[in-house]
Amino acid sequence: MQLEINGLSKTYSNGVRALQHLSLTIKQGMFGLLGPNGAGKSSLMRTISTLQEADSGSIRLTGLSDGGELNVLTQKDAVRRVLGYLPQEFGVYPRVTAESMLDHIASLKGIANGSERKALVQGLLQKVNLYDVRKKNLGTYSGGMKQRFGIAQALIGSPRLIIVDEPTAGLDPAERNRFHNLLAEIGENTIVILSTHIVEDVTNLCSDMAIICLGEVVATGNPNELVKDLNGKIWQKSVEKSEIETYRQSHRIISTQLKGGKTRLHAYSDIPLADFDSVSPDLEDVYFAKISEKMEVATV
Amino acid sequence: MFAEIFRFELAYRLKRPATYLYALILFLFTFLFVIYGNGPASEKTNINSPYAVSQFVVVMTIFGMLVASAVMGVPVYRDVEHNTKNYFFSFPITERGYILGRYLGSFVVLLGIMLVGLLGIVLGSLLGPVFNLADNVERFGPIRFRDYAYPFLLFVLPNMFLVGSIFFALVAFSRQVFTTYAGSILLFIAYLLGSTLSQDLENKHLVNLLDPFGSYAYDAATKYWSPVEQNALLAPLEGDLLTNRLIWFGVALLVFGATLFRFSFARFLAVKLGKSRRVKEEGVSEVAPSLASLPTPKPVFSTGVYIRQMLGQAGLEFRSIIRDPYFIAIMLGAVLFLFLDGWFGSQIYGTPSLPTTYAMLEARNGTFFFFVLIVIIFYTGEVVHRDKVVHYDTIADALPVPDWMNYGAKLLSMTYVCLLLCGLVLVSGVVNQTVKGYFNYEFGLYLRDLLGIAFTQYFQYVMLAFFVHTLVNQKFVGHIVTLAVYIVIWAVPQFAEFGYRLALPFSGGNVQISDLNGFGHYLTGLFSFRVYWYAFGGLLLVLALWFWNRGSDSGFKARWQLARQRIGRGSMALFALCLVTFVSTGAWIYTNVSVQNRYLSADEQREQSATFEKTYHKYANALQPKITSAKLTVDVFPDEFKALAAGQFLIVNKGNQPIDSLHFTMPTDNFHRQLTKFLVDGKEPVKILNDTDLGYSIYRLPKTLNPGDTARMEMIVSGQYVGFANNSNSRDVVSNGTFFNVGIFPGFGYDDSQELTSDKYRKKYKLPTKEWTLPKQNDPAGLRDFLFTDDANWVTFEGTISTTPDQTGILPGQLVKTWTANGPDGKPRKYFRYKLPDFSDYFFSMCSAKYGVKRDTWMGPNGQAVALEVYHHPTHDRNLDRFVSSMKASLSYYTKNYAPYPYPVLRVLEFPRYAAFAQSFPTTVPYSEEFGWVGDFHDPDKTDYAFYVTAHEVAHQWWGHQIMPSRTRGANQISETMAEYSALMVLKERYGPDAMPKFLKYALDRYLSGRANEDKFEATMLDNDTRSYVWYQKGSMLMYALQDYLGEARVNQAMNDYMKAARFRQSAPFTTSLEWYSFLKAATPDSLKSWLTDNFEKLTLYDNRITKAEAKAIGNGKYTVTLHVKTATEYYDKTGKELAKGKAPLLVDIAVLTTDGKNKDGLTTKVPLYMQKHSLTPGEHVIEVTVKGKPVKAGIDPYNKLIDRVSDDNLVNVDMP
Repeated sequence: MQLEINGLSKTYSNGVRALQHLSLTIKQGMFGLLGPNGAGKSSLMRTISTLQEADSGSIRLTGLSDGGELNVLTQKDAVRRVLGYLPQEFGVYPRVTAESMLDHIASLKGIANGSERKALVQGLLQKVNLYDVRKKNLGTYSGGMKQRFGIAQALIGSPRLIIVDEPTAGLDPAERNRFHNLLAEIGENTIVILSTHIVEDVTNLCSDMAIICLGEVVATGNPNELVKDLNGKIWQKSVEKSEIETYRQSHRIISTQLKGGKTRLHAYSDIPLADFDSVSPDLEDVYFAKISEKMEVATV
Repeated sequence: MFAEIFRFELAYRLKRPATYLYALILFLFTFLFVIYGNGPASEKTNINSPYAVSQFVVVMTIFGMLVASAVMGVPVYRDVEHNTKNYFFSFPITERGYILGRYLGSFVVLLGIMLVGLLGIVLGSLLGPVFNLADNVERFGPIRFRDYAYPFLLFVLPNMFLVGSIFFALVAFSRQVFTTYAGSILLFIAYLLGSTLSQDLENKHLVNLLDPFGSYAYDAATKYWSPVEQNALLAPLEGDLLTNRLIWFGVALLVFGATLFRFSFARFLAVKLGKSRRVKEEGVSEVAPSLASLPTPKPVFSTGVYIRQMLGQAGLEFRSIIRDPYFIAIMLGAVLFLFLDGWFGSQIYGTPSLPTTYAMLEARNGTFFFFVLIVIIFYTGEVVHRDKVVHYDTIADALPVPDWMNYGAKLLSMTYVCLLLCGLVLVSGVVNQTVKGYFNYEFGLYLRDLLGIAFTQYFQYVMLAFFVHTLVNQKFVGHIVTLAVYIVIWAVPQFAEFGYRLALPFSGGNVQISDLNGFGHYLTGLFSFRVYWYAFGGLLLVLALWFWNRGSDSGFKARWQLARQRIGRGSMALFALCLVTFVSTGAWIYTNVSVQNRYLSADEQREQSATFEKTYHKYANALQPKITSAKLTVDVFPDEFKALAAGQFLIVNKGNQPIDSLHFTMPTDNFHRQLTKFLVDGKEPVKILNDTDLGYSIYRLPKTLNPGDTARMEMIVSGQYVGFANNSNSRDVVSNGTFFNVGIFPGFGYDDSQELTSDKYRKKYKLPTKEWTLPKQNDPAGLRDFLFTDDANWVTFEGTISTTPDQTGILPGQLVKTWTANGPDGKPRKYFRYKLPDFSDYFFSMCSAKYGVKRDTWMGPNGQAVALEVYHHPTHDRNLDRFVSSMKASLSYYTKNYAPYPYPVLRVLEFPRYAAFAQSFPTTVPYSEEFGWVGDFHDPDKTDYAFYVTAHEVAHQWWGHQIMPSRTRGANQISETMAEYSALMVLKERYGPDAMPKFLKYALDRYLSGRANEDKFEATMLDNDTRSYVWYQKGSMLMYALQDYLGEARVNQAMNDYMKAARFRQSAPFTTSLEWYSFLKAATPDSLKSWLTDNFEKLTLYDNRITKAEAKAIGNGKYTVTLHVKTATEYYDKTGKELAKGKAPLLVDIAVLTTDGKNKDGLTTKVPLYMQKHSLTPGEHVIEVTVKGKPVKAGIDPYNKLIDRVSDDNLVNVDMP
């Protein structure tokens, strides 16, 4: 089973071009989607999650167990039946308890049998560690608890296509770890799309990834491969803040970072740079290198 | 610092488009209102008179409250909303500077907006005469600065200060903007509570003070102003108005001060209480099940499942609504009003009615309905936008459910809300009934009305609100657009007097439930309109489903894309079905309303009246014969809403010219009347003119009727209701409770009662101004006719009425025979034959209903026996004794003092409550269901109006049936004033003179109000031809005062003499007000002649007041009481302008009263220690009297026997040093 996105474009009514002829193939397993704010990640996610129409292009879910395929843009209902979606921003009815809300969502996902649904809801609440507070109104939940509730609802009904948009935002480090472990538990024959701007999450979790910027794919592939491609091309130097502009003029600076009172520059170059040290690249360098091809990277 | 913040606030406000929007709305509201000439009731009062401007400004401030909530609620909330509070307060500003700056900045803007409202009045008055939309250019008076400045200072400033401070404080302390909505609702409740309480005159002061806007106090201060005064005066700042303004200005200062001094940044920034209640996380449980171990039930997707999901979702939505604290608050307000309206119900003369089920059901049409609309607008919005507002939509919209599941669930949850609203009516009604000890709960009626009518009505509004909210797709804009749509489709047509229900969305729902007739004839029309508007609602709902917002992109393009995907076979079929139903029921309704029946708008009706007058007034003086004998046969078909009336008449030419043709006027209403047979002396007259539109026809007599000639006339008239009309309020023939009169036959000649009377409209249709409706007292034509009909003088009467076997048919007269036979349709019918033994006027009621009857007999002192009958609805048996005892007391009093009762029977009978009056026909008094049968008289302090009104109607058996006034000016006083006087005397005999002040005070209030709202001019007792406040209220007061001065016996002797002179007068000239007055005058001693002429021949008001009373104990339980009193006599011209002050002394009661007592009936009465008439010259007097017993109150004319401009200042508490 794989998700094939072809030539997807979307322009909002306010003129913002969120997606520009975007094509991407996503296989089973964990797929990381990186990109700066406003890159079109959420637009893409929402389009795959049937929440948004596209102006042109197609999204197909191919290689289903019955050998068929689904057109995500038109067969919305069928897609929703296999979808688990954790939106970037979501809310719940504040005056309803977590348990009854989850039970209700489960019923809306077609879990019609009451006792089965109950067992599933109990299990999920335990899984996301909300069991003890299941009788509390959702309006009283903290941000992290609400996020865990969101995860639980996304997992109802053994979805084959799971989309999680900025899932670890608002989670403390321990919760983030638990969430990563949970993602790791999801079966291999499921497509999991993880949209994030935390590069480290992708490094840790994903076997495949894409970087998008200004509505276009700027890189795609296995994270390790992408890093390998940059071997010997990233150079580093610590400079005074006042010097940054000078270096920008002369070099292709992909990132700047404050370290011990000085600014550390990362530059991209196929050949060694004078005064710069060689550094072994990581995924973050890939990210910045790719992004900086498309747009000016904001510097401190 | 303050100045900076103030300037910033002002500048910010002036940049907001909303500021201009509010101003524009207010401007349009006042401008249109004025330019369309809506305003004071009297046509003689200027639309922009100082009185009207002030009143308008008060109302404007009540609406201004809404603007205030928007303007004054936000300034501090803005810092919460945009989260600027967290850093804003770190700036070097003081709390007081912050509060004051924000407050005043917004307040200045608020005042500015209100000023624009005032500007609307000014511009409306300027342009009103130019555009002449009001049909009356003269009603725009001069524009004077003071007329606007005064109410601005008196109402706008303090009211805006009050509500502004309250809203500002609410947000500053609660940090929630919704509290301003709650606040405005509470203030509105305070205002509306006033309207509920103010029904009783006794609560007047309380209401004047309680109303935060000062509206009632203003009304009370100006209530009795004549049109001339309304055009010139500003309300004096004194009494209740002053107290009210001081109280509420004080409250405003208090609230403002509290905000200024109690506000602190620390508290404002503190984390909300709700947040500290956050649940604490429990320890992380170590063993969480693995994901793989969770059950993996197979999802099921089927319509059955979707429906169950829908029910579940609807339940969830409903629970979310009813747990909302604001919903609960609104519901509490709604229940409060429902209960109060049910509790006080409709009061007649201050007496409550029994809490019948229909009365409990009607309580929902009071203030409760306002809450229903609020709930429907706001909570439909909540439901439609809930997912989006709480951001649950991102989850919900990606769930594998069809669109209609969620859509249906939301709609369904609003049906639950509607049902809840209906349930409140049931609970409130049953509780009300139980608390009042009324256990005749009609649960079937409750359910049929609430589910069949209330629920279907409320849900209509939901459909509309749901549609608007869905299409607008933004909550607050949705509220406003919904409100605007409601206003456009309901308020505007009312403005334009447009009532054609086929074009008034979601109209057609009025039903009047009667115990006699149930839902009666209303149901067919109601049901048709419901189907019609539900089909329309269905169209809206299908459209809303197509454009239902699912997903994150709410742009027009995206919604259009979605809609195109959704327009499928199923929804198209539904749409088509609704469309077909809408069109076909529309056609069906049109057929009923406009083809089989006729609808005329108010304007068209006036135009028709004008055309009628222009076309046929030329026949106004055409000589017509008089009926001298009537033999009638009336067949009532209650189930077919049909009646057949056949008459055999003798007609005589009583004039001095030959008559060659008969002119008929026949009403053209929806009781399709047809003259199916018409013969004169056995021959068919030739129809010369037949105008069915205006209801006028002329027939040439087969043989000219010379003066003195008699002819036989035979007529058969059929009348029937066909289908249903736009308004189902015709009531002549109904299933149970038919009541019509001899007017079913065409009347002779031109009917001038159809003419327009309003000067304004007469002018519009270019008709001459009509000052008088009746001719002068010496007009020969007027003197030839009876006042109430010109078709006949005295007649002999016998008649037969037939009806279905389960009903009793009643005509005036003695029942001589009943039998059963098959009717023309072959079904068995019951026949009743009645006969009047003596002459009577030509005025006969025709009634049929399923009656219970109570019988009794009155025995006169000379052995005359009169059978008394009370025909009533079987369950209306509580007050029968009151009717019977009143009939007996009346017969005794009137036969003793006036003349014998000429008939062997007297009966009262009940007809459905579609009209609320009682009317006296010879021997027979039909009495509305509303009027006495369901009165709750258990509290002896409440007016026993069943007794009183019966006495009045029985008195008409003398005054109006034995004495028949001529058709001349002032003649109505002989009938109505004398009936009122008679009833007061019977009442006085029954309850004692000290129980009378209450009646007199009511009468005085109504006379003064009637005079203030006069459209033309006020006429004297001797001339008045149309003003009921003169013939009932002024008349009863004057006659009461006269018998108080002269003695009851002397007045009665005079009336006895008058009876002897005028009773059953057989030939013209018939009696006039002048003849009646001559008997009163003859009985009046010279010392009182000036009082008599002042009051009967002129327009005179008194201004009697007491300023101070002191008492000193002088031992032996005796006291000396010193009274400081003032008296003045004021003469007015007919327009209400003061002409002069009287100089003659006035004979007036001076009284010292002790604590109120109870008479033998438990009725509260005044207890005078001293009550003597003093002759006082106009001016101030100090009077000293000695009384035995403790003086509590003292005063001048304490019983309000005289017509006093201000009736409240006649008594004061006695100061006891």
